[in-house]
Amino acid sequence: MNAVDVSSREAQATIARRASVLRGAFAALAVALVVAAWPVMRAMPQFGAHPLIYGDRVNAIGPAERHITNMVSAINFDIRGLDTLGEEFMLLCTVTGGTILLRGGRGEDRRAQPGCVRGRANHRPPDSLRLLCRMLAPLTMVFGLYLAINAVLTPGGGFQGGVVIASALLLIYLAEGYAGWRDALGGEFFDAMEGLGAALYALCGFAAMGLGRPYLAVFLPLGSLKSTFSGGSMLIVNLGVTLAVAGGFATLLIEFMEETRALNPGDDADG
Amino acid sequence: MGEALSLLPWIGVVWLFGIGLYGIVTSRHFVHLTGCLAAIQSSSYLLLLAIGYRYGAVAPIFYDKKPGTQAVDPVVQALVLTDVVIGATVSALLLALILQLHKHAGTVDPQAMRPMGRAGVADGRQRRGGRVG
Repeated sequence: MNAVDVSSREAQATIARRASVLRGAFAALAVALVVAAWPVMRAMPQFGAHPLIYGDRVNAIGPAERHITNMVSAINFDIRGLDTLGEEFMLLCTVTGGTILLRGGRGEDRRAQPGCVRGRANHRPPDSLRLLCRMLAPLTMVFGLYLAINAVLTPGGGFQGGVVIASALLLIYLAEGYAGWRDALGGEFFDAMEGLGAALYALCGFAAMGLGRPYLAVFLPLGSLKSTFSGGSMLIVNLGVTLAVAGGFATLLIEFMEETRALNPGDDADG
Repeated sequence: MGEALSLLPWIGVVWLFGIGLYGIVTSRHFVHLTGCLAAIQSSSYLLLLAIGYRYGAVAPIFYDKKPGTQAVDPVVQALVLTDVVIGATVSALLLALILQLHKHAGTVDPQAMRPMGRAGVADGRQRRGGRVG
């Protein structure tokens, strides 16, 4: 591999010399940055008191044309729906990439055995922590669902809700330990959830095309303002995002946690 | 005074970007470097939110307010949401790369990595001796 031993005094001296050169270069760069940034900062629009043309248009048409009250969701799932699809697939790609990287060094199987790094004690979590996490995990999960479901009404949405749901899974890990966690979560469930969520988003766009409208145009009945079921097909898109984000982050959590598992005889160590 | 206050958000943006860059330049640990990248990314959140701010306006959520109330810009807020999601996934990907690096090379020190196709730190002695890397 490309690493070199830096423990020798020679290497440390080289690194120290290099670091001082880097710091000098950075100081020069910082001065140049400040000099270059100053006129830009002076030319920036007056903070807090300049016209927001696009924002005002969105704030006007969101409640009127789409019957929803959360304008950020209106932009993400309707006005910039295609961008969010791209973001969705970026998420899918990074999760896939991270999984491939991690599994490449570990082999593909995932099993419900406690992770244990050689030489590190594997204590059972203390009861106080287990109790606290058992109480907090369901509450966090419900809060995540609340954020995701009310995407079109109040602050929140599929991205925020999905991440909160995935962090509830981490609390379950803290409470139950590795083995219980893997038992509870099952194997390939979150992989499927992530992929199906992204697929649901994309297919919802094609459904709009099937009805003779542009890709990702809102099609279902819009409902009434301040109703949970307002916004038409934005709700489907939001569900897709929730599934994909929760599934994607859960997959990443599982893959990172699998890294703590000691290799068994027969496992391929470096793929 | 008013003008100085108006400049404050942009100064904050440049400062966040600067300290993040300083951390990356002088980093001796790849996990630290990933954190510095997150600091640089935070400067873009601050920039976007500062652009969309408006004095005396409410959040662009009209559940408990009459539609038509003066609200801040939701466009940049949606961009920040995208930014945060991408930042989180990029961090996850970088951390996975760091784990693999640690497994293969046994180190997470950027200074210990040999630049591709060129002599690294340990060859400094030889280079001083006249050998070109």
